[in-house]
This record gives sequence, structure tokens and C-alpha cells, in this order.
Amino acid sequence: MKVSVVSRSGREVVRGGLEFSDAATVAHLQEAIYRKTAKKFYPSRQRLTLPVQPGSKEKPVVLSSKKRIKDYADGNNVTVVFKDLGPQVSYRTLFFFEYLGPLLIYPIFYYFPVYQYFGFKDKHEKLPVQTYAMYYWCFHYFKRILETFFVHRFSHATSPIANVFRNCAYYWTFGAYIAYHVNHPLYTPVSDLQTKIGFAFGLLCQASNFYCHILLKNLRSPDGSGGYQIPRGFLFNIVTCANYTTEIYQWLGFNIATQTVAGYVFLLVAASIMTNWALGKHWRLKKLFDGKDGRPKYPRRWNK
Amino acid sequence: MANPLSTLKRIYFSVYNWALVYGWAQVLYLAVKTIKESGIEHVYDAVEKPLFLSQTAAILEIAHSLTGLVRSPVSATLPQIASRLFLVWGILYNIPEVRTSVIVCSLVISWSITEVIRYSFFGMKELLGITPSFLTWLRYSSFLVLYPSGISSEVGLIYLALPYIKSSELFCVRMPNKWNFTFDSFYFSLLALAAYVPGSPHMYTYMLGQRKKVLSKSKRE
Repeated sequence: MKVSVVSRSGREVVRGGLEFSDAATVAHLQEAIYRKTAKKFYPSRQRLTLPVQPGSKEKPVVLSSKKRIKDYADGNNVTVVFKDLGPQVSYRTLFFFEYLGPLLIYPIFYYFPVYQYFGFKDKHEKLPVQTYAMYYWCFHYFKRILETFFVHRFSHATSPIANVFRNCAYYWTFGAYIAYHVNHPLYTPVSDLQTKIGFAFGLLCQASNFYCHILLKNLRSPDGSGGYQIPRGFLFNIVTCANYTTEIYQWLGFNIATQTVAGYVFLLVAASIMTNWALGKHWRLKKLFDGKDGRPKYPRRWNK
Repeated sequence: MANPLSTLKRIYFSVYNWALVYGWAQVLYLAVKTIKESGIEHVYDAVEKPLFLSQTAAILEIAHSLTGLVRSPVSATLPQIASRLFLVWGILYNIPEVRTSVIVCSLVISWSITEVIRYSFFGMKELLGITPSFLTWLRYSSFLVLYPSGISSEVGLIYLALPYIKSSELFCVRMPNKWNFTFDSFYFSLLALAAYVPGSPHMYTYMLGQRKKVLSKSKRE
């Protein structure tokens, strides 16, 4: 079958088009495009869609690399629209660097006499809560890195390279901002009881969060295929994105124990970002699992 | 007749936009008049009232964007308003020493020309439903000069104010306190300056994209 590859402005990306057997998959198509475009657009940079009627409000159908090209073709010919997503970086790489920052930056404020550069007499003794906070914080980001390499199964292997700068700026800046305040020589702790409650609650939420990640992992096969599934069990019976819920509450625990405005600002920003994601995922799942065509209907959750 | 809600919306936006045309036209007029008659160091005093009124009213635009009442994305509205309010309420209001600088002139003139064009463009759209092509062209072209001149003035004024911000310790909050909170106006101002590094290209390229979209569309019509 013949495949013609065009850009969104209609220009031919591969002159003369490409020929494939009926059994060829989209992954084969992506490989061929990569080779035929002077090896510039590696497969993860390519976004291939079926053409949309001009003026139509429909979202274009994105070609999945695992399906056969024939599944998208009408007869023996098909036109695919090519978009360059720009240089890509694997999610694992992205997550590793964004989490590494806080993991290294926070202990710098704890162990090294940095406050003298801000004009303070640096006290070497840290209060117990400051020590526990450092352990808690580092454990959290160490856990995240381990999950990135051993638990999470990513549906999209890559992310645009610009996100490296944006995400690292977010994590590293907030990491330094919080670390500065909690490890400060003039830090004022809360009561012992409040500290214990905060950390205990936080650890409980981190454990729950880990279990949520395990449940999500089991929805997918090791190569990341499996697409969207209905998450079930544990807290997923109450909310669609129980992983985000537990993450948010985990930060709340940290803040109850350490009580800094910096920490609470971070909690607010992180919670709003994750809430946004969660709402998007919830509506997507509800729309996909509508109960028609043999698909299950998305079960009721706390917010329906 | 269209449904009452959209009529209400149209009335609201007509009033809003034309009121701001008036406010910013005042700023422009008074600025130019004062330069000619009294000298640049008196410009701030002359424009203070209409400037503060017009610029502060623009907070409403964040609400318009957040509630979807207008199409502009929050990512373009928020940095714009944030920098304006920081200059007006942060710098000019608190640091009298910078008010006599010539940069204040370039600042208010850049801002007021931009805003008169922008608000009359939207005002026409809301009130009359049409936008004369000349105004459209102005709206999507004047930024090419006025963004650089305005942004340079903003950066220049913040930089000029830095030593006074540092010595005055205005709004600074120190530790120890119950909430382990600190605020340092000097570092905050440095952060604001740093924000212009990614912020200015972001805003400029956003407008370039808008220009391409709008001017090519009107050419085809």
C-alpha cells in the first residue's frame, strides 16, 4: 500500500511517498520517515495524524505506533500528516534530573554553612525536627527516583526538551526556597506533638502513594501499551487520581510538621497543578468509558 | 436581538474599554504636556492619578481571562499585568527617588500609546462590531516598537530603584517568626528582573504570532 506523508501546510515530507506491505505497522512507517528525512526526525519526534477535513472541529486521529498502517487506510492509499514535536527527552531522564535537584540541594542547606553568605551566624546544631525534615524530604525524592526507574510504565516515552528547563526550574527553585527556610539558624519549630503527627501522616500518605503507583503499573504491560484503563481498588474506588491525592496530602504532612510559608506555597502550587491534571484525566476516562460499543461504563466516584 | 447575557457582556466591555481609553489618553496627554511645559522630572506627579487608576483597573483583565470571558490566555495576561502592577505599586509608589527619572517618561508614554490603541481596538469591536483595518494594523504592529521601549523602561526603572529598595528595607519580613516566613524586597526585585529574561521573549513572540494570524486573515478577507 502507498503512504504519502505531508506536512500540515500540505508540503510533501517524503517525496514520492512510501510503499509498505499490508502487515507493516506504524512503527515501520516512522522508521522509514526517519531514514528518508536525513535521519533528523527520529520516531519519538514524529506526530502522525490522519488528515482532518478543513473547517472540521474534530480532533485529528493520532496514529499509534503499534497498530498496522492498514488499520488507518481507506483502501490501498493513505495520507498521513506529519508534525515535528521537536527534540525529545525520555521521561525517565526528565524525571531523574528534576528529582535529583531537590535531593541534592536540600542537604546542602542542612550540612553546609551556607547561611553565613546570607549574613547570619551559622549555628551548627540543628533541631531534631530539622533533621527529620531532611530525612523525610530526601526519602521522598529518593522514592520518586526509584519509582521512575522501577515502577512507572510510561505511555508516552518522551517529552519535549523544553520541559527539562521548565520542570527543573520548578523543582529546584522550590527545593532551595523550602530548604533555606527549614534549615535556617533562626527557624522556629512547632510543638513536638504536631511534628510527630505531621511526619507520621506524611509517611502514611507516601506509603499509600507508593501502593497507588503499583496499582497503576499493573494496569499496563511492560512496554507501556494498554492505553487507558479504569483504575480500581484501594483509594481509586473513591477518586480517579488517588496517586495525586496521596501526594498532595503527603506534602501537607510535611508542612504540618515543619510549618513554613515556603512549604505551604509549594503545597498550593503543586496541588493546583495536580488537581488540573486529575480533572483532565477524570473527564477523559469518563468520556472514553461511556458504556457503549462493549466498553465498560466508568464507575461512580466521590464527585461522580 | 442576541440573548440578554451577551448584550450585557457587550455593554460591560464597551464601558470598560472606552473608560480605559479615556484614562490612558489622559496619561498620554498630561505626560506630553508636562514635558513641554514643566520638564521631565514633573511627569510622574502630573500623571500619577490617571496612571494609578487605569493601571489598577486592569486587574479585572485577569478575572476576564480566568473566567473565559475573553479569549486571551492567562499565560499572556498575567505576566503583563504583574509587571505593570509591580512597576506602579511596587516601585513608583514606594520609591519616590526614581520618579524624576527620564525613564518614567519613556515608560508612561510607551504604556499609554499601547493602551490607547489596544483599548480603542477592543472598544470598537464591542461597541460597533467592527474594527477599522488601520486600527487593527496599529494594534498588531505598534508593539514591535513599544514592547522594546516599554520593557527597557520597566527594567531600567527597577534597576534604578534597587539601591533604594535595599536601604529602605521596605516590606521586609525577617526570621524568627511563627510561620518561618521571610520576605526581602531587594531579592524579590532581583527575581522580578530575572523574570524579564524568559518573560520578554515569551510576550514578544506571542504578539508576533498573533500579528501573523490576524494580519494574514484580514488580508485574505
